[in-house]
Amino acid sequence: MLQYLIILLDNRSVSYCHYRPHPLSFPSPMGEGVLIPLEVLKAGIVFAMKENLNIQFVYPEEALPVEYTEVIESIDHTKIKPMAQAEEADVLVLTEWQTTDVESVQNATCIISASRQELKANIERVKSLLNKVARLNIVLTDIEAFRDEEIGGYQTLLETLSDALIEVFKTGRMVQLNLLTDRLLLTQMNNCGAGDTTVTLAPNGKFYLCPAFYYDDPSQNAGSLADGLNIKNRQLLRLNHAPICRHCDAYQCKRCIWLNSYLTLDANTPSHQQCVIAHIERNASRDLLAKMEAKGLHMSNTHEIPEINYLDPFNNYQQWK
Amino acid sequence: MEIRKTVGKVTPEERTEIQTLFERKNGLMELAKIINADNTELYEKLVKDMGETSTKFQAWWDAMAKKYQWESVEGGNWEINFETCDISLVVK
Amino acid sequence: MKEMIKENTILWKDGTSKSITFIVTKDCQLACKYCYLVGKNTQERMSWEEAKEAIDYILGHEEEFQEESVIWDFIGGEPFLEIDLIDKICDYLKTEMYRRNHHWFNSYRFSFSTNGINYHTEKVQRFIEKNHNHLSIGITIDGTQRKHDLNRIWKTPGMEEGIQPKPEEEQGSYKDVVRNIPLWLEQFPGAGTKVTISSADIPYIKESVLHLYSLGIKEVNINCVFEAVWHEGDDRLFEQQLTELADAIIDGRLYEEYACSFFQEHIGKPMDHEHDNQNWCGAGMMLAVDAAGMFYPCTRFAQYSLRSKPAWIIGNVHDGIDKNKLRPFLTLDRCTQSIEECINCEVASGCAWCQGENYDAADTHTVYQRATAICKMHKARVRANNYYWNKLFRKLELQDYEEQKRKSNHKTCDL
Repeated sequence: MLQYLIILLDNRSVSYCHYRPHPLSFPSPMGEGVLIPLEVLKAGIVFAMKENLNIQFVYPEEALPVEYTEVIESIDHTKIKPMAQAEEADVLVLTEWQTTDVESVQNATCIISASRQELKANIERVKSLLNKVARLNIVLTDIEAFRDEEIGGYQTLLETLSDALIEVFKTGRMVQLNLLTDRLLLTQMNNCGAGDTTVTLAPNGKFYLCPAFYYDDPSQNAGSLADGLNIKNRQLLRLNHAPICRHCDAYQCKRCIWLNSYLTLDANTPSHQQCVIAHIERNASRDLLAKMEAKGLHMSNTHEIPEINYLDPFNNYQQWK
Repeated sequence: MEIRKTVGKVTPEERTEIQTLFERKNGLMELAKIINADNTELYEKLVKDMGETSTKFQAWWDAMAKKYQWESVEGGNWEINFETCDISLVVK
Repeated sequence: MKEMIKENTILWKDGTSKSITFIVTKDCQLACKYCYLVGKNTQERMSWEEAKEAIDYILGHEEEFQEESVIWDFIGGEPFLEIDLIDKICDYLKTEMYRRNHHWFNSYRFSFSTNGINYHTEKVQRFIEKNHNHLSIGITIDGTQRKHDLNRIWKTPGMEEGIQPKPEEEQGSYKDVVRNIPLWLEQFPGAGTKVTISSADIPYIKESVLHLYSLGIKEVNINCVFEAVWHEGDDRLFEQQLTELADAIIDGRLYEEYACSFFQEHIGKPMDHEHDNQNWCGAGMMLAVDAAGMFYPCTRFAQYSLRSKPAWIIGNVHDGIDKNKLRPFLTLDRCTQSIEECINCEVASGCAWCQGENYDAADTHTVYQRATAICKMHKARVRANNYYWNKLFRKLELQDYEEQKRKSNHKTCDL
């Protein structure tokens, strides 16, 4: 059931997930006007109201004209903003590592997109962030390039982050880090829900399963405000139609259907890379929980995570079938 | 006129053993049509292999005949059905 | 009692063999009207270099191909148009499997689906003689001349440019194929033929199957095309044809020696969503390689087979197989790709699908949307199939009863 409408306020709205926006890589249907037309914005809001959807506005770096602000404020919503527009942000997207030091991250929910290499190079900044933010979402941008030889490296990286979390927890601040603490709190899959619980409205007035599909190829839309929402094969975006994922307990995995479509060519099937990365995180969460227990640190509503002997559930598929 | 009579059965494992040897024998025979003596390395390997495979093939029938004591007649042959593991006595 | 009924042959090493298909050419002498290969052409012929590279990759990665047996399959267009290349490929395969001590040397077949036109030629015959113990060759003949020539017509020079011949210019291929049937059956006595049924063929099903039997072909593997080609009323006509065929087979006692895949005892039953949940099609377990050295999950995913979707390429002979692109195939099950109506269908068993057609007809880029164009034809088949088995079993039962009665009367007399 749809619950959220993501509205990209601009062709250059900040990326808060795996994809990279390519504002100049395709001609804007509105010519030079990269901002969402006001009429489209209004119609999008009305659509959300009629469908009982929560709106998440995704902002660009540039400030919006005042008339836009008025329309946006006419409805309850969440603001996903880049650092340049940090004021009143519900979710702050850190676009440069330097911005991690600014005051506005204090007790904020922040997102940082980075490759594993970038994360490793900036690990001190990440540690510093963990001491300030309420929640940090790290989005890996190089999942597709992950190779099995790098499993150990990623495990080590997560171990470093896990140790950093322990240090923060010791101060009494129970900061959340998506890669390590989400799995502690979840008892079922918490995927991104693109096309299932969430749909995206782009500045061209068309719907997309998520922003990545829009930036990847604007022709792959899922209907429009004018013609209505049209998500084809929607059942295949749901967990119960994902043969590998419906058995999986890496609950924190975003199960990115855009990456699926790109790497396995089928939206309901995750790649080996996505599965292995999610399971390394799952197992690192398990280790974190053990460390917390050993040190007498408690986070409410955590759950035991059983030990498993695989990193890619595809390898167990024949048993689950 | 061919007379065919089922005279026994082997286990699936025994069947697999003779089927593999049968397939290998056929493979070697057809390979022999395209490998000539100029290809020293493969030719020598092939000749040796054909001898060894034939020996193993015959040894299987000898061992099974001894084990199961199938009915036999002069001028008759035993045949195996790879699907059913049945052994037939065939007189042509 | 059931020993009196000939059943369709189980495929060689069914379920334990890897099928590897070389698309040696996209050319064919014929232009069959129901052919799913929309992109046939004379240009895309496999080179020896590309074939060799594919073989070297496959045999060089034995750990990725653990199946006990292999079927090296050759397809076109018409594969025997490239008999010189095929002969070279097969010689190389035999030599290399042996030289590398590859486990497949002990268990392989060379398989061909041919239109039969070149079957008698010296080169093809020499190839058959050389590889006879490892060959499986199927010649496609659709039935009577009337039925065969309805669809299986010779290609005309204009067709490559998109110019279709007028009906009076169409030339059927029946005579060019049927002359090779006796030689084929002499060389492969148990061989079966494959018949494809499209809408226009329905009125000729009965006469065609009986005709094939009369040619000495004891196994007729016949199926309806999966594409959405069916018209209103086709199912009734189909059911009528199959019922008449059932009568002819049973009344003529043909069931003792001949098999027709339309009649299967265990089809047309509901299926359990947990225990009967396996996929129908083998796409993904197979491998196909084309002239450009691209790998596909089966030939139906190569571009020349697809009407409306891009090719589903899973790798190439240089970089190998991208296993990610095989994952959707290897996790397919019946229910996930089926709509509720199919899952709960009371006559579900035996209802087939082609993964390639599912993909081609799907609303999105997926192999998880089952095409259902065949639904009403399957239901019609099930009705005729039920009729066939009810009639046959009753006949055999009565025969059995008569036999018992005769024996028992005999005993009484003895007393």
